[in-house]
Amino acid sequence: MTQQPIIRFENVSKRYNDDTTVLNNISFEMERGKFYTLLGPSGCGKTTILRLIAGFIEPSSGEIQFNGKKINDTPPNERQVNTVFQDYALFPHLNVFENVAFGLRIKKIKQAEVKRRVEEALRFVNLQGYENREISEMSGGQRQRVAIARAIVNDPEIILLDEPLSALDLKLRTEMQYELRELQQRLGKTFIFVTHDQEEALAMSDEIFVMNAGEIVQSGTPIDIYDEPINRFVADFIGESNIVDGVMIRDHLVRFAGREFECVDAGLDPNEKIEVVIRPEDLEITSPDRGKLVVTVDTQLFRGVHYELSTYDKDGNEWLVHSTRKAQVGDEIGLDFDPEAIHVMRLNESEEDFDRRLESYEVSDHAE
Amino acid sequence: MGKQSNIQKFFLTIVFIILYAPIFFLIFYSFNSNGTMSSFESFTWEHYAAVFEDTRLIMIVFNTVIVALLSALVSTAVGVLGALAIVYLKNRKLRNTLLSLNNVLIVSPDVIIGASFLILFTAVGVRLGFASVLISHIAFSIPIVVLMVLPKLLEMSDSLIDAARDLGASGRDVLTRVIIPYIKPGIFAGFFLALTYSLDDFAVTFFVTGNGFSTLSVEIYSMARAGITLTINALSGLIFIVTVGLVLVYYALNRRNRTPVTGVKK
Repeated sequence: MTQQPIIRFENVSKRYNDDTTVLNNISFEMERGKFYTLLGPSGCGKTTILRLIAGFIEPSSGEIQFNGKKINDTPPNERQVNTVFQDYALFPHLNVFENVAFGLRIKKIKQAEVKRRVEEALRFVNLQGYENREISEMSGGQRQRVAIARAIVNDPEIILLDEPLSALDLKLRTEMQYELRELQQRLGKTFIFVTHDQEEALAMSDEIFVMNAGEIVQSGTPIDIYDEPINRFVADFIGESNIVDGVMIRDHLVRFAGREFECVDAGLDPNEKIEVVIRPEDLEITSPDRGKLVVTVDTQLFRGVHYELSTYDKDGNEWLVHSTRKAQVGDEIGLDFDPEAIHVMRLNESEEDFDRRLESYEVSDHAE
Repeated sequence: MGKQSNIQKFFLTIVFIILYAPIFFLIFYSFNSNGTMSSFESFTWEHYAAVFEDTRLIMIVFNTVIVALLSALVSTAVGVLGALAIVYLKNRKLRNTLLSLNNVLIVSPDVIIGASFLILFTAVGVRLGFASVLISHIAFSIPIVVLMVLPKLLEMSDSLIDAARDLGASGRDVLTRVIIPYIKPGIFAGFFLALTYSLDDFAVTFFVTGNGFSTLSVEIYSMARAGITLTINALSGLIFIVTVGLVLVYYALNRRNRTPVTGVKK
């Protein structure tokens, strides 16, 4: 951790007209060369963070640091940051070459150098030969690439991407996810990507910041966040989940759905009220006498990769099951799962406490 | 979408005949050696020759064009700045007020504008002549330019400006490299509209012009009152041809703007 973070937010808040708070006292650090994703529902403040880093808006309070230097008042044209906009924001009066060259022309770079760098940037995004096209002649996916080329050609330290894939169709979007990830690794730049699409976030990021209502709820690697969501919001927002109320009897023993189960979670108070998450794909269908839970199948949908079953137990809790095996609607089936599949969430736990607790028992678990 | 029915075609033809007939009627008799508009005797250029021999008339044409060009240029510059100011005004109330004031000027009758300018100029003590005509032409052209430029500005996404700033552009770069090129069609349209408004303005000019200075519309009006001579016809015919020429130039310019600029610009 000797390396200085490239971006650092210290107690940053953003309010409009002194009453609507968009960002509420946010602090975080970002390391150089990583792919970060700001994930959250619309209106959670993720784009605001991006605009703060780009310099389009100024924070109401707090400090933003770039390479350790405060940049609150630095105008956007003096920051080593470039943005790929949601609507691409390509200049319609310039062709592809001049769009990409825009930043270099501003810096009054020599024509030969401009030509070399623009061609290199276009090669990076697989658009060689499109130099003389007009923007209006390009498809959505191609415009996307022009926008990316226009950002990388300036060799910025950070590239900000504001939901750049949301306007593309599903197939192209998946393709661009791979390409963006690969591009980031080839360039070795810091990418900050904003999306409300959890799949995109999980597929591309080194680290995800899950946001809600102007605050960062949880940050971590995709696997951390998926497997160990801090609360109901994160569990619900990232992937599908079964969330039920329960009681932690003692370490490694939890009670929910009218039964006690062995689990791996620890570090909670005895008989503390908690919430339990089990992912639908961790539930396996067996016969009722062998299942840990006995449920009745309510509906069944064929999803292509798997069947999605909506089932209910005796207490009326809904259990979503993803299974490649088919069941009969109305049948009683058993559900089996491993102790590791159970994830216990404390109510109103702060992210620091959550991380500390996780570390405390994961170290001992991994020793086995 | 089927092809146009015969009734539609017939209607369109009638409409255009009605619109253009008077003009062609006028031009037709400008070649009449008889000197009246009642019966066509034989073909002659003499009325056209009369136009070019009349140095006073040539001077007036020259005045008219100078006033039109100058007023169109100045009003385009002011109008573009005004439209920019209106669009980027933070205070919404002030913005709407300015817009409404602008629109009121467009719909208010020329007679009122002309009369009020006359009162203003006499009160302030501006001598009626070239300056008073030019000032009033600039004044009534500005709202037109604003109106032509505004839609382009409003249509422009804010993210274009953000993008330019993000790529290192200063406030001036944003204006000259992004905003102005983007609204260029609107600026051209505003300029040409201001030009034509100034060229054919009669009411305002009639009020604010003084001894020794006249524009074509005012001059033709006074010539017509003195009794119709076919010189007026010849002059009108010339103006019509120049107008058609201008329209063609405008279309040519517009088309060139749309064709791709190929290659790397220096």
